[in-house]
Amino acid sequence: MTDKVDVVVIGAGLAGLSAAYFLADAGIETIVVERGDFPGSKNVTGGRLYLNPVRPFFPADFWNDAPFERPVVKEKLSVMAEHSSTTVELFSEKFRAEPRPSYTILRAKFDQWLADKVSEKGAFIIPKNKVDDLIYDGARVVGVKATDSELLCDVVVVADGVLSFLAEKAKLRAARDPHDYAVGVKEVIELPAKTIEDRLGVSAGEGAAQLFFGSITRGMVGGGFLYTNRESISLGMVVGIEALKQHQPKVEITELMELLKARPEIAPLIDGGSTVEYSAHVIPEGGVRALPQLVGDGILLVGDAAGLGLNMGITVRGMDFALASGALAARAIRDAKAHPSTPLRSTQDVAPFSAVLLGAYEQALRDSFVVKDMQTFRSMLDVLDNPRMFSKYPEAISSIFEKMFWIGDQPKEKLSSTVMREALKHFGNLDAVQDALGLLSV
Amino acid sequence: MPINIKAKLGVNAYKIDAESHIVVNHQVCQTQCKIKFCTFVCPARVYTLGDDGLIHIEHDGCLECGTCVIACRSDALTWHYPRAGQGVQYRFG
Amino acid sequence: MEIIVCLKQVPDLQQIRIKRETREPVLEGAPFVFGAFEKNALEEAVRLREKHGGKVIALALGNAKLKDTIIEALAMGADEAVMLTDPAFAGGGSAGTAQALAAAVRKIGKFDLILMGEGSADNYSGQVTGRVAELLDLPQITYARALSVEGNRVRVTRDLEDALEVVEAELPVVVSATSELNTPRLPPLTAILKASKKPIKTFTPADLGLAADQVGAKAAVVQTLSNLAPEQERKQVLFEGDADKAVDELLKALQKENAF
Repeated sequence: MTDKVDVVVIGAGLAGLSAAYFLADAGIETIVVERGDFPGSKNVTGGRLYLNPVRPFFPADFWNDAPFERPVVKEKLSVMAEHSSTTVELFSEKFRAEPRPSYTILRAKFDQWLADKVSEKGAFIIPKNKVDDLIYDGARVVGVKATDSELLCDVVVVADGVLSFLAEKAKLRAARDPHDYAVGVKEVIELPAKTIEDRLGVSAGEGAAQLFFGSITRGMVGGGFLYTNRESISLGMVVGIEALKQHQPKVEITELMELLKARPEIAPLIDGGSTVEYSAHVIPEGGVRALPQLVGDGILLVGDAAGLGLNMGITVRGMDFALASGALAARAIRDAKAHPSTPLRSTQDVAPFSAVLLGAYEQALRDSFVVKDMQTFRSMLDVLDNPRMFSKYPEAISSIFEKMFWIGDQPKEKLSSTVMREALKHFGNLDAVQDALGLLSV
Repeated sequence: MPINIKAKLGVNAYKIDAESHIVVNHQVCQTQCKIKFCTFVCPARVYTLGDDGLIHIEHDGCLECGTCVIACRSDALTWHYPRAGQGVQYRFG
Repeated sequence: MEIIVCLKQVPDLQQIRIKRETREPVLEGAPFVFGAFEKNALEEAVRLREKHGGKVIALALGNAKLKDTIIEALAMGADEAVMLTDPAFAGGGSAGTAQALAAAVRKIGKFDLILMGEGSADNYSGQVTGRVAELLDLPQITYARALSVEGNRVRVTRDLEDALEVVEAELPVVVSATSELNTPRLPPLTAILKASKKPIKTFTPADLGLAADQVGAKAAVVQTLSNLAPEQERKQVLFEGDADKAVDELLKALQKENAF
């Protein structure tokens, strides 16, 4: 006899765990299957979770005991030229006030905490197990195949991450286009808390986030990031995969990462620290254009598996989308379960847990901030994917500031003249105007 | 800049699967792909081009990001996740 | 036959890292598992049960997270579990642990065979088998690489590295398992699901009739003073320039270190 449960969630990341939490909350028997040693052991983030978008989905006190690293109270944006850089820093009391808008996190710890919450709700999490395939009855998904065993269910929630081999097997997603993905690498560098606070200029327990754009990616779309954790710094780099493939001469992201660490702006921040982990992860950046089919009969996709990621230029999001999509998927499953659809009496009846019923999830996602934000920023990547953005303009910006601050052996001209002349020189051409208009359009 | 990838990967926790989760179809690789993207897009340097003209794999350093399988458009790579409980185990993530 | 398998929950050694500055192991965040030898013991017990019928009881010592770890033992085929998770049991060393296990075995009452690993994954004192056998006044057979039961006798091939010794004893008996004994099974998904519904009991020191000074750190007879990784010194010598010359210099340096 094959066992049967209500729902099998594949993957204990934020999307899968969020779905399981709300399913268990609705009294639906839920199994989460995770291939890693523990929830979080295969999961990687750059480092920051935007909490405001997802607060409405969760109980008010839900996050009280979350193992956040540090709330981000200081935002820094550095435009990197070859031998100079310009940094804009935002410090705002608004970012320090409760409820905090964003926190840095480390996934191994964070996902285990979330998994414990999910277990408390009554879902059963099975680590060290891998789902290899789905079981079908005609076109309808009716279960999962794992090593040596099969498990039947009403609905499979596919939360197996950005590569989602299962979405591919279910034919919900087309072949992967390298244009739609970026690769990120990260080092976690251990340092004492006080050292981190002193170097980044934040108060005890508070944190900073810094993004780096420009020559560090050699014209390729992407950038660097730095997030402060309690007792470590997450430093990393993201580059578009197609850009990396095409770049001449060939360059490795590992090498760019080492050069980033060696930059005189960054080296002192991590000096004396020891790297305790080197990770890599792919990020979905295809946006709304590259969204897969989100539901099928007895199956739905959430989080990275559903391609829910967004590069907004100065902010990269995915984890808030994952949490929200899991919650919305759970709602749709709950409603589908409550739908008086069985047995099929006439042609007007819909099959239980069919794509028609689960389609409510897709609609809810489109009505939510997730797809709306992806829609609003849909052309961001096209605008950014332009070597001028990463080489010419960063050089220009640094050059203007260099001239403003420079005192040489010649009489100095009026600041306004310097700025005007340099601005015209670098930005007074058709390309620049077009690029500016492109930026304005997003 | 010379990079000691073994040292970089050495700080991670791995449970090494005796069986490789990556397989190269050398025939397809040699006839369909000139550039061998896998040899430079992989952040763990899992792939190297040998003197024999074949792609060599050191699957035990794999970070399981999947960049290779996205970059390789010639279908020469069969790549699935390592078996349950195997491969890299991120302690920070 | 009734078999009790003793299991110790330990942090997964493959997930532990050493802090460079202090040489201390960082246990925080490491998941908990059962030691490899204990899994051999459990696997053997399940195979004996499959052959001879009866029952396998997993008797496990650990912390509050044991309720998750124990699922693996039940999924591998143990019929029920007894957990010793009271914080009072912690820090007992071989002596305290053996006291607690022996008391739990007495409380369970009926058994033909007690199986355990040849040593725990973390301390590997290898003493608990002997101590439990002594406390229960039973024969002990260590380092089993093969085991069979005929009637009321157990026959064990002991692995003495350069010799194999075959011994026999009348049940009940305490046996410790080596990794050669078998290959533990990886429980399938459905077995794990069923495992969560198997009976689990938890015994406190009071349930076992043990006083406060008979368990945990109070019952320990050996004190751990420090637990650090060995110091690793690197010479950090770099030979540069002409390859032939550099190789010569390297050889000379290695000779000087008595590396050959």
